[in-house]
Amino acid sequence: MMEAKLNTILEEAQESVKNLSSRAEFEAFKARLMGPRGSFTECGKGIGKLPKEERPIIGKHINVVKKQLEILLKQALERIEDTELTQSLGADIDPTLPSPDIGAGTHHILSQVRREICSILRKVGFTVAEGPELDTEFYCFDALNTPPEHPARDAQDTYYLPPSFKSGNLTKREDERYVLRPHTSTVQVRTLLTEKPPLRIISPGRCFRRDTMDATHSANFAQIEGLYVDKNVTVKDLKAILEYFIRSLLGKKARMRFRPHFFPYTEPSFEVDFYSAHLEKVGAEWIEVMGCGMVDPSLFEAVDYDPNEWTGYAFGMGVERIAMILYGVDDVRYFYQNDLRFLQQFS
Amino acid sequence: MKISHQWLTRYLELNKSSREIEDALTLIGFEVEGIEKTGLQPLKNVKVGGVVSINLHPQADRLSVCEVDVGGEGENRQIVCGAKNFNIGDRVAVALPGAELPGGIKIKKSKLRGITSKGMMCSPKELGLGDDHDGLLILDAHSEIGLPINEVLPHGDLVFDIEVTPNRPDCLSYIGIARELGAYFNQTFSCPEVNTGSSKHEPMNNLIESVHVDTEENCPHYRAYSIQGVKIAPSPDWLQLLLKSVGLRTINNVVDITNFVLHELGHPLHAFDAKKIRGQELKVRLAREGEKIITLDDKERELQPDMVVIADKERPLVIGGIMGSIDAEVDDETTDIVLEAAYFNPINIRRTSRALGLSSDSSYRYERGVDPRGAEYAALRAIDLIQEIAGGDLISSPHVVGGPSIIEREIEITPEFVRRSLGFNVENKIIIETLEKLQLNVDVHETDEGSERWIVGIPSFRLDLERRVDLVEEILRIYGTDKIPAATVLTPGLIREDDSISVFLNDTSDYLVGQDFNECSNYSTRNEEELLQWYSHTDASNLSLDNPLTSDQSHLRSSLIPGLLDSLKLNQSRGNKPSRLFECGRVFKEREGRVWELVSVAFIIVQTPNPETWLVREEPDFHRAQNNVRRILKFAGVTPLDEEFAPLEGKDAWQVGHTATTGDFLNGYEIEVGLVSLPMLRNWDIAGTVLAGDIYLQPDFLKRDRERPYYHAFSQFPPTTKDLAILVDSNALAGKVKLDLEKITHDCVGDEFELESVSVFDLYEGKELPQGKKSLAFSLVFRSLERTLTDDEVNRVFDAIQQNISENTDYKIRS
Repeated sequence: MMEAKLNTILEEAQESVKNLSSRAEFEAFKARLMGPRGSFTECGKGIGKLPKEERPIIGKHINVVKKQLEILLKQALERIEDTELTQSLGADIDPTLPSPDIGAGTHHILSQVRREICSILRKVGFTVAEGPELDTEFYCFDALNTPPEHPARDAQDTYYLPPSFKSGNLTKREDERYVLRPHTSTVQVRTLLTEKPPLRIISPGRCFRRDTMDATHSANFAQIEGLYVDKNVTVKDLKAILEYFIRSLLGKKARMRFRPHFFPYTEPSFEVDFYSAHLEKVGAEWIEVMGCGMVDPSLFEAVDYDPNEWTGYAFGMGVERIAMILYGVDDVRYFYQNDLRFLQQFS
Repeated sequence: MKISHQWLTRYLELNKSSREIEDALTLIGFEVEGIEKTGLQPLKNVKVGGVVSINLHPQADRLSVCEVDVGGEGENRQIVCGAKNFNIGDRVAVALPGAELPGGIKIKKSKLRGITSKGMMCSPKELGLGDDHDGLLILDAHSEIGLPINEVLPHGDLVFDIEVTPNRPDCLSYIGIARELGAYFNQTFSCPEVNTGSSKHEPMNNLIESVHVDTEENCPHYRAYSIQGVKIAPSPDWLQLLLKSVGLRTINNVVDITNFVLHELGHPLHAFDAKKIRGQELKVRLAREGEKIITLDDKERELQPDMVVIADKERPLVIGGIMGSIDAEVDDETTDIVLEAAYFNPINIRRTSRALGLSSDSSYRYERGVDPRGAEYAALRAIDLIQEIAGGDLISSPHVVGGPSIIEREIEITPEFVRRSLGFNVENKIIIETLEKLQLNVDVHETDEGSERWIVGIPSFRLDLERRVDLVEEILRIYGTDKIPAATVLTPGLIREDDSISVFLNDTSDYLVGQDFNECSNYSTRNEEELLQWYSHTDASNLSLDNPLTSDQSHLRSSLIPGLLDSLKLNQSRGNKPSRLFECGRVFKEREGRVWELVSVAFIIVQTPNPETWLVREEPDFHRAQNNVRRILKFAGVTPLDEEFAPLEGKDAWQVGHTATTGDFLNGYEIEVGLVSLPMLRNWDIAGTVLAGDIYLQPDFLKRDRERPYYHAFSQFPPTTKDLAILVDSNALAGKVKLDLEKITHDCVGDEFELESVSVFDLYEGKELPQGKKSLAFSLVFRSLERTLTDDEVNRVFDAIQQNISENTDYKIRS
């Protein structure tokens, strides 16, 4: 009798629960069933009136039904909550609408090229060295075998600071002038003076040349120089590193050649041309990319290294030039204009 | 420098293609910047033809049908032609089928408007002889019919435009280049022989009585030769052709000869008209203040007292080593010549040339350094040519002052050194041969250990060779850089890290790019006006360059933001939609007369980036920008507390009330962040408002040692949080209130447990609050390392805190 009643309650509940569509309906239903006066609660109260021997059996049955009702209610509540949440999510999205957010950030192409070059060279043990952009004549010229009457020191080509200029964080040796560095070899000298060989460094950085800006000249430009100092460094080693570099940058099929040249701080000195099939559109067969050479003994003397003991090589390249070659950019001014349509092409 | 192939073959047999010569020049260090073909190039199947008949073309008025005799064919050729400038009997160049003309035109038998044409009669342009395309090239009437065209017209030439590096003045000459190519191609080259030993005649009086050198350091060697009875005339064809081939003007035989020798031997010479030398004396002296001279380019030039002139008794006639004046010019009337061959100090020549803005073939060579021993040879070579071409007699012996500096240089080197430097094996024999091909004499000595020691003699024209490494370069150049063997890179590990400046800037730009910023790159130099607008308290003169090129690039930049505003402006005006830009670089800050170079990062954020979207985003605000700054500082190992930021005032660049600052660059770092001032934006003509962050750091601050973070124990028990709202003055800084609250709380907590954090979670400024007050709500978090805190103990402390605030501060607790 009671057992049948319990079963009926359960069956009815199983049916009615399907129709619950809001939290309010759910609460009302729950009260009707399990509240103080709920049908199930009332039914449970009847157990006291049963004969003693039936009580454990019915009691057990009550518990079973209670569990089932609870599961039923829990599932119903979850279903209602899901529906409510889903409604609160709003209308379906249109994945084809344009993003209301701003466009992606970009590294400047010169930074990208600089980092690519540094990363290629880091793999073979070079680490980055930094130095000031505003430096003294000693580091820019004297220590690099460029005597006072050398044309490179002309005020026509190099930016000087007035003799009265006083620096807060850069000391002079004597009464030499301050200049905006024309190359980053200054960093090589500084590193040679403050660190101990063997050394393998690259010095990327901004340099300055007193030049009128046009499609191929820029008064500010970025350079990367490499320096290796150790015992028994040879011309063959220099060629090996540059071949490695050029192939890493331009593909394994890229070829290069050394053209003897002249730089005051290397001997022998070379300009490096490379040839790469992908550059044929540039129009020239061999493209000049950098200068290099074996560190001149007089440079070692200037920094108090024994030139009979230490040897080394150095190389340097213009980042703009490499970027122009790699990406086909045909006007150096674009690098310093910062037109977003240019900057975002290389992300 | 331009090098004519024809001229070069006077000293070196050169049976090489232009390509081989170009490659050789390039590989031994003379980059070929261009090759120009001049004159008639070798052509096949182009012959001299004679026009036999001319008839109108039946189908075309503009064409004619001609019979042309090209010899040896038995019958005439029928050729259709469009030109009008020829007559029967004319000799013309006929390209026969199979010929290929310089423009790439291939000649075939063809039909023109129905009439067969078996060849083409050529215009000068079609033969590659200039631009004349108006009619046929009419050859000399005596040209033999049937001869290849190359046998009746002068040969063409190849002119190489090469770069000669400043260390190789010896190669600013044909002899120098012939020596180099001879060494590379393994061919002997020949220097012109000199026949004039001395005067052929009885000693006579010199054309001038005396030569003095007053400034020996600037002119250590001076020779003056007297030549009498020359006949001035145009140079012979061969000489004119050679000079013109490298773009030189021809003047007259004597002047042309001095120019010829300058290019042949690399040694400048100067010819005076002896009759124009007043007082029969030449003096090499320094110019007098204000002295003037009209140089051969017809410009009057005022001389400075450190410039060298060659003067007669009355006036300067030549700016020594650079250019002569019109006053002693050799002209058509000249019969007697004084020929100068001298050595001038390179530094003085360069300085004078620069100061006058006057450069000549002569000064170019002197300033790089001519062979100190070359003067006499050059003079005698020129005299030979003068006598041969212009006649005249060398009379008496020359006036000679000083002499060539004694340059005896030897370099000691061992073959082991060469191989050690190169890193690969080259046999002794090959090394010696290579050096000797360059006229470097090798004297081989045996050492006690049985190896060799070489003494290499350096000729006076190779003053660039001083050290052993210089010889290694010579060997490698001629041996061939293409023979350096390939090798793998060997890299012993070195303990060194990237400079922390570079690491910081990379981290920072990665972060900013991740935040959708676009990196810019602007110049480091700006103009003075902007600098003063931006930093009115800065003494701009301390940041000015000594020699700016233009006034808009005259001063060092003090901040990256003006450049970014330029970039913003440019993008706005071009219809792009810029919203976030940044730049990394160096800036220069002036303080108390000193200038500090600092590492800097700056960014700008346009406050309403792009309102024209279908969904409008929340505008970025000060706190967004400040957060960017904090993140960036973290890469520099700095985490400023909230209360370390202070409102920024008194800087024109920034909007007061909307900008904050922290740090002092003298102690390591400094930042400014907030709104760019409205007047500044108006100056830039920028629409909208712009948030910016400006961060600058001392390079040494970034390079300081940074400690690895060390582990601190942290509690495994839950926290207890208490909220507390406090009424404070409207203008009170939250950071200050927080500090006060923190101190009181610490005192109250004592050692019982820990105050984990005090933070503002609400700010309220409603009308119901008392006038001039605002409410700051703080959340206090307590925790213990050892246990879960009880409500009682936390409440006790919280009560004490509130009591303390009421008793000891002006703050009111809001209940």
